[in-house]
Amino acid sequence: MARHLKTQGDKIAQGLTRRQLIELDACARCGDCQVWCPVYAQDPRECITARGKMSDLRRLVNGGLPDPERQDFLQSLYECSACGQCHIVCPVRINTPELWEQARHSLVSAGIPQPESQMKQLTTIKEFNNSYGKPQQERDVWARLAWEAGLLLSPVTVWHERVAPVLYFVGCTASFDPETQFVAVQSARLLQEAGVEFSILGKDEPCCVGKLRRMGDLDFSVEAQKRMVQITALGAGKVVASCAGCYKGLHSDYPKLRPEFRPVLHLTQFLDELITEGRLRLAHEVPMVVTYHDPCHLGRHNQVYDEPRRVLQAVPGLKLAEMPRHRAFSSCCGMGGGLKMANPEIQRKMAAERIREAESTGAEAIVTPCQTCYLGLLHGIEETGSSMRAYHLNEILALSICPEVTREEIINAFVRAAAR
Amino acid sequence: MIDIPTVNYPKPWLLFWVADVLAAGYFYYALYRKWQGWSRGITRMPKEKIPWGRVVRIWLSEVLGQRQLWGLSSFRWVAHLFIFWGFIALSLLSLSSFVLKRLGDFGMDSGLAHFFFQEEGYLFIKLWGNGFGVLLLMGLMIAGVRRLFIRPPQQSNNQTDLFLIFFLFWLTLSGFTLEGIRVSLIPQEIARYSFFGQLFMPGGIPSREEVYPWLTACWVVHAFSGIALFVYLPHSKLMHSILAPLVIAMNAVEEHERKDLYWPDISKHRATRSPRD
Repeated sequence: MARHLKTQGDKIAQGLTRRQLIELDACARCGDCQVWCPVYAQDPRECITARGKMSDLRRLVNGGLPDPERQDFLQSLYECSACGQCHIVCPVRINTPELWEQARHSLVSAGIPQPESQMKQLTTIKEFNNSYGKPQQERDVWARLAWEAGLLLSPVTVWHERVAPVLYFVGCTASFDPETQFVAVQSARLLQEAGVEFSILGKDEPCCVGKLRRMGDLDFSVEAQKRMVQITALGAGKVVASCAGCYKGLHSDYPKLRPEFRPVLHLTQFLDELITEGRLRLAHEVPMVVTYHDPCHLGRHNQVYDEPRRVLQAVPGLKLAEMPRHRAFSSCCGMGGGLKMANPEIQRKMAAERIREAESTGAEAIVTPCQTCYLGLLHGIEETGSSMRAYHLNEILALSICPEVTREEIINAFVRAAAR
Repeated sequence: MIDIPTVNYPKPWLLFWVADVLAAGYFYYALYRKWQGWSRGITRMPKEKIPWGRVVRIWLSEVLGQRQLWGLSSFRWVAHLFIFWGFIALSLLSLSSFVLKRLGDFGMDSGLAHFFFQEEGYLFIKLWGNGFGVLLLMGLMIAGVRRLFIRPPQQSNNQTDLFLIFFLFWLTLSGFTLEGIRVSLIPQEIARYSFFGQLFMPGGIPSREEVYPWLTACWVVHAFSGIALFVYLPHSKLMHSILAPLVIAMNAVEEHERKDLYWPDISKHRATRSPRD
């Protein structure tokens, strides 16, 4: 046999690291990944589990995965939110989320593309520099509208107009999605309440391209390098991201490409600092029992567990009831890793499961510091018909610090502005 | 001072060595093929200085103490720890006995071979072999009961995993049978140190001539089963016994600061119950 001719298996193997190839053989088949997998709970097929995917990938790189199983593997690889729960419970400590992302990248390199729905999203990001396919000029419209509606203490400045000690990296979802623009408004207002001097990048704010990495796009590295150059050149003292996905991109994906890139803060970490320093005054009581949903990108992927809890515990009158699955064992809502695009039905079921778990705590609301999880949990509430409310963590703080800046108020103000 | 009588029954050494060399050759070839497969991947070196102290502590706790398994299920932890330590300790015993005997043949053992095979050291070997052998048997029995009767939903449907449990059980049991027949030829006050093996002693007071053919047969079965395991290992689930410690060390290099993965704070990050509870 002519060994110099590379098979497709060889090509896929060449895109994985040696450690990852060893990991495929190191799986002990114990099945703990299956017990804890939130996707398997909705679609109980072996190929969904980390054990199944690793076995299939091993056979694929060794050239022994027959076609029907190959199709199942490709489907299940993308129908995975890469939440990292299997990594936490694996007795062998196999770094599964990194493996899935690298496997997707490697498959694309070997000529096996992503599902069409994901490719569409990737094309949009690369074409428009945001995941919503909107003109970049509209990135800071929320800031102008919020100021005009009297929801901010001062206008939000743009970096090229005023260099500030803090750069607030808003992210695509809070910039463009009408359902989550309130997160950007409340973030800005809370920073203003604390007297933080900050600016945003406005139309110059790029997409973090974290989704490119999640879905194995080959351009991630080049695009991320461009963004690192841009952000480093700003010389900001602190970069604060309010989106858990952007935080994962900027905080943990970028430094893997360029170790000297300075890590960023998530908004909850910064708010925790401000509360500890006494710069944010939580004046009003919020008499509510809430449960906290750890976003995967913040919790398992970056170990930010304590700061958001401290922020919630600082709110007077608020009681925190933990769900059975919390912190490193928090059950994913299904919004990450491109799963939502690959199989929206599974995402809704996963979110519904999470809402049922939240209900079991007796809490009246579920709080999360991630706008994507917030949207995902709303799907869960729709799916279950639950009376539970979902809040972004900013909203809880706003209720205590600036109760006039509610989500409803912001959305109404924006709707009125659009009608004009 | 005690004096252990020599039990020197015939063993087909030539056949054993031929099989052993072939098996070892195949084992290393299979590992080499795997290495070739892994070598296709990207080499990524750690970007920061490796904190060896922490990596070693994590490795000791995760591999030797199997802390992660303890956190997930104390039942499985007991079974796996018994199998793990039983297997390691018996392998060490076989290896060190072999090395000591060969050194003794060349007079390079400083009297250690004589001490361990003919004097008080023999009692230590009996206790060690029996203690860890029993541990291994118990672990395998728990694993077998879990797989055959408890049947947890996450159980792998790969039938070779069950075969491996039976194979290890067979290997251990054949070892105890050999031991039982062997200690039937030594005085009872010494044989009792083989506290589990003596349960396999033949009844009555057999002569050496009667027992030797049985000893040879049992030795052949046990030794060649061990060789067969060597050949089967690279294709079995047992491969994780070599690779998991390696992967744990490699991941610890990158993730040594993760408190949700490693001690001391892991209990803080644990869920209050498993989804299957």
